[in-house]
Amino acid sequence: MTETTMNGAGRKQRHFRHHSRGSQVSIFLGKFFRMFLYQNEWKVLPMAAVIAGLVAMVVQPMLFQSMEGTLMGTLALVCVGIWNGCFNSIQAICRERDVVKREHRSGMHISSYVMAHLIYQAILCLLQTVLTMYICRLVGVEFPKQGLFTPWMIMDIGITMFLVSFASDILALWVSSLAHSTTAAMTVMPFLLIFQLVFSGGMLTLPEWSEPLSSLTVSRYGIMALSAQADYNNQPLVSVWNAVVGMRDRKVSGTFTIGQAVDLLQNKDNPTIRELRKLEIVKGLTANDLAELAESEGVQGAGPLLAPIGEQELTVSVSLGEAADYLASNPDSQELCEEPIPYSTTVGQIIDLVGWEKTRAVLQDTMGENSFVQEYVQSRTNIASCWVTLLFYTLIYAALTTITLEFIDKDKR
Amino acid sequence: MERTNEMKFVLIALFGSTGRFSILFTVLFIIGLWPLLKKSGVPGWWALIPCAREYMFARCAGREPEGRVTSVTSFVLCLLAFVMQFVSVRPAWIENVSGAVLSLLILELALQIILFIYRIRVYSGLIEVYGTRRRWIWPWILCHWFPALIWGFSKKYQPTWKVEDMHRELAAIASGSSVEVLRDGLTVNLRVRAVREFFQKKILLRDVHLSIPLGHMVLLLGGSGAGKTVFLNAVSGYEKADASVMLGGEDLYRHYKKLQYQVGYAPQHDTMRGKDTVYGTLLDAAKLRLPKDTYAADRKARVDKVMDIFGLTPSRTHMVEKLSGGQRKRVSIAMEFVSNPSLFFLDEPDSGLDGIMARELMGQLRHIADQGKIVLVITHTPDRVIDLFDDVIVLAKDGNRVGRLAYYGSVDGARSFFGRESMEEIVECVNPVEVGGKGLAEEFIAKYAEVRHD
Repeated sequence: MTETTMNGAGRKQRHFRHHSRGSQVSIFLGKFFRMFLYQNEWKVLPMAAVIAGLVAMVVQPMLFQSMEGTLMGTLALVCVGIWNGCFNSIQAICRERDVVKREHRSGMHISSYVMAHLIYQAILCLLQTVLTMYICRLVGVEFPKQGLFTPWMIMDIGITMFLVSFASDILALWVSSLAHSTTAAMTVMPFLLIFQLVFSGGMLTLPEWSEPLSSLTVSRYGIMALSAQADYNNQPLVSVWNAVVGMRDRKVSGTFTIGQAVDLLQNKDNPTIRELRKLEIVKGLTANDLAELAESEGVQGAGPLLAPIGEQELTVSVSLGEAADYLASNPDSQELCEEPIPYSTTVGQIIDLVGWEKTRAVLQDTMGENSFVQEYVQSRTNIASCWVTLLFYTLIYAALTTITLEFIDKDKR
Repeated sequence: MERTNEMKFVLIALFGSTGRFSILFTVLFIIGLWPLLKKSGVPGWWALIPCAREYMFARCAGREPEGRVTSVTSFVLCLLAFVMQFVSVRPAWIENVSGAVLSLLILELALQIILFIYRIRVYSGLIEVYGTRRRWIWPWILCHWFPALIWGFSKKYQPTWKVEDMHRELAAIASGSSVEVLRDGLTVNLRVRAVREFFQKKILLRDVHLSIPLGHMVLLLGGSGAGKTVFLNAVSGYEKADASVMLGGEDLYRHYKKLQYQVGYAPQHDTMRGKDTVYGTLLDAAKLRLPKDTYAADRKARVDKVMDIFGLTPSRTHMVEKLSGGQRKRVSIAMEFVSNPSLFFLDEPDSGLDGIMARELMGQLRHIADQGKIVLVITHTPDRVIDLFDDVIVLAKDGNRVGRLAYYGSVDGARSFFGRESMEEIVECVNPVEVGGKGLAEEFIAKYAEVRHD
């Protein structure tokens, strides 16, 4: 920009340029870092450490260990990022709105001011993310080992956390540029957080119509990226199994048919059933056994009569397995197989029949398949798309902040 | 009778609803509103215009800000009704409603609540304006068409205050024709400074023609709302008016980007970052305002010099928020002075300062003016420092409540022109009667126009 100065005689004196947008950025950056020191903005760093510590202690046992733990843990981590980001900047512009107006009047470029904020807030978010990751490690969170974009997954997760935090930060900066006072900004803040929390999809199952709203949230892409990085789909689903184990002493009763029992007894791989099959249901009788039986029924003289063949086997014993096999192979037993048998047992005894390991594997496989989420598949594409979306939103919010502040002179009367 | 879709859209546009009773009540309200608006000096046909009638109704109640809200809210509600009609779902069973429509319904409910609250404020204002009993609020809330009809047609109900006719203007008294462009100074030929607010154009200032030579320190006088800040903003190019402002022969408006650094404006309030040091604040101001090719050493030297001029050197490392009121004022002024502007505007620089500090500050401004600058100062306590000023500009509100030039000239000339000894007496005589003045503004505006004409 060329300029003409006027001396006392009103003559044109010389032409010169004022600071360009780029060099104004450095002026404001210097200002912001002085504010960081003097205006106690450094407090956001210990605050971030405390929040990260509290959350990490709670989620540490389950994070990256199971589907449920990962989902809740990633939601908690994303909330930490959003909270940090929002609080960094929610008052940043509105508290100095009059100063911004004055500086704008004195030749400040709004784009330079916003750019300086972007750089300053990015550095704040980066420091907070490093602190958060460090504290998570300190508390004992077991991060997956191999990263997809960097050699370490903790660094990949750190990038996601930074992007979540930064996008939220710039969103709050936009709100701050819209608000005319800190009170107004702080009133909007809870709505912002609740919106992010509810529509993230991590806490509640969202109805279909809310999809467009959900896609506007930073939290959604944060959870998606973190869940993908944690390989959510290959984590065990433990909640159903835990519920079943909790019910093992619960009594159950009812009826089942002989046919169902026969089918169950065909599972020869199960050791419990193998033992059951050996159970003798018809005892093999010798001549002596028969004589004892006859005498007990009042028939005299049967003992001496059968004494010569005393130990000779007269009938063959039958096991439960043999009976089941017979009934299974004999078409004439159809009618018998439909006969109901009353039972009364416990959940644990039923699982004993199927086998604990097998029950667990079946439950986790089946439920895991049902809980499969395509967006959480551990792939570079999925994670990269989340990162790009978060960056895109950051830029959109930055552009909106600039546009909003360009109209700052309009509220002068 | 089955209504066609097109007809429904028309009904929504006109009445905001398609319900029979709703339309009937709106029609009755419009019938009552027409004479009601006329009673308050607003053309009755505004009652026919959807949304705008809400604003005009609120103006009659002396509740213009509320009118803006009710008008905009009605407009948005109308748009929502359009959308609802477009998707043809005004659901009877809330369970069957899709999420998107449910969101619209929630939004509509929220807007209806806002409209309800703001309408109560308007009704309350109308009751005050008509001087009726407070219990009228209930009929207004419950069935607004009924009191509108009664108050509109009954001669018993008359407003105690009327809305100014927005199209009426008193015969404009010419405050003088354009002045010639001053080569070595500031020339202002301001015809009109107006703002458009909602359904009306508001003229804030008109016919201000004057030229100030370099080296003059000028006092800007005027009562509250006379347009002093408007004048400063217009002359500094910050709020452009229908005007020509020439600084040293160059058009300030046309070359604003070039000349904005020649203009320093110290606002009424100390708008600075409190948690920054005095030196840091001034150095940043210098970086922002001084040319890019200024060497860092020169910039620092300039900051040191300005700190010296304003007596801030001992407070160099102090936080701005820890300074006294007078020191903060000085920092605020020094921020603008650091770029050595040719034109220096100060809006109440001595507010909150005691007599000694105020005089000391004004002395520094006099010193600045003596270096060949134009210093234009607004102050509400002029008499304690009047000997430091060369000229006086007196702005006053005319019968249309528009800021006008009542005098521009030397301090002594002002005394004889107004026949008053002190500047405060001058302000008192041009101030309206309702704010404790003598209400002689029109007289002096005309007198000054005559003097200029001669």
